[in-house]
Amino acid sequence: MNARTGWFGIGMALAGVLVSAYTLWMVFFWVPTEVSMGIVQRIFYIHVPSAWVAFLAFGIVAVSSAVYLWLGDERADIAALSAAEGGIIFTTIVLITGPLWGKIAWNAYWTGEPRLTLTLVLGFIYVGYLMVRNATDTPERGKRFAAVVGIVGALFIPLIHMSVYWFRGLHPDPVILNPEGPTADPEIQTTLYVGLLGFTLLFLGLMALRYSVERAHRTLELREAA
Amino acid sequence: MTRRLPILLVLAAIGLVLVPDALLAQNQNLGAQRLGRAYLHVFASYAIGWALIFGWVVYIARRLRAVERKLDRE
Repeated sequence: MNARTGWFGIGMALAGVLVSAYTLWMVFFWVPTEVSMGIVQRIFYIHVPSAWVAFLAFGIVAVSSAVYLWLGDERADIAALSAAEGGIIFTTIVLITGPLWGKIAWNAYWTGEPRLTLTLVLGFIYVGYLMVRNATDTPERGKRFAAVVGIVGALFIPLIHMSVYWFRGLHPDPVILNPEGPTADPEIQTTLYVGLLGFTLLFLGLMALRYSVERAHRTLELREAA
Repeated sequence: MTRRLPILLVLAAIGLVLVPDALLAQNQNLGAQRLGRAYLHVFASYAIGWALIFGWVVYIARRLRAVERKLDRE
């Protein structure tokens, strides 16, 4: 089962790399330059998929953490840990690509804008999720505390999504997930969808791989302890 | 003063024609600078993004190697 998860992860991650490579070709050679923002708008095709994957990852952390608290199943904790690591990676990408875009579009790397600030807080919460695991007397207690942090952190996801409507900051409104339907040009939408698919496959593949490695590690630890 | 008026009008006309051109040229320069910087930011975004993902792959590979070493010892 474990090896099968590992090979499944490798296959999915490779598919993700191929789709992402195709996305790169689309971004730099196929999609037209957006009229109002110009060339810098191409950051959109890494920024938005990274944000989507980060939210997906933290959603998985929350669900797996709830299952762990409910059933005490070690596999749920491993899934939550694997997803949290990926979520932090992709949140970091969002927090780096956003300011690089903002410097050109707003002439400032960072503003105290609600969506930016909430995303930064979300990143810190999941760094805390990893830290709290090792900050208790017993590993079991750490896992339970981390599970609570994982669930609480996910409450920020709808808040971040809705913050552009509620607080009206500098951050642009969503161009795909908005109440009026997608507003971006068809080529921009196609490139974005391919990018979303690539990063989703890559994340799920690497998460499955990380899960199988961690599971093997814990099985060995149990065997050593016995 | 009246003799200088046509000269002033001609100079004003030349000025009206040239000044927008000069401003446009300045804007084009600024635009070119922004374009260069924008390219730099786009490439930096993709490079840093992929470097972070690669970092996670390396981390997973190192954890896997540690598990394999443990298995080898057993």
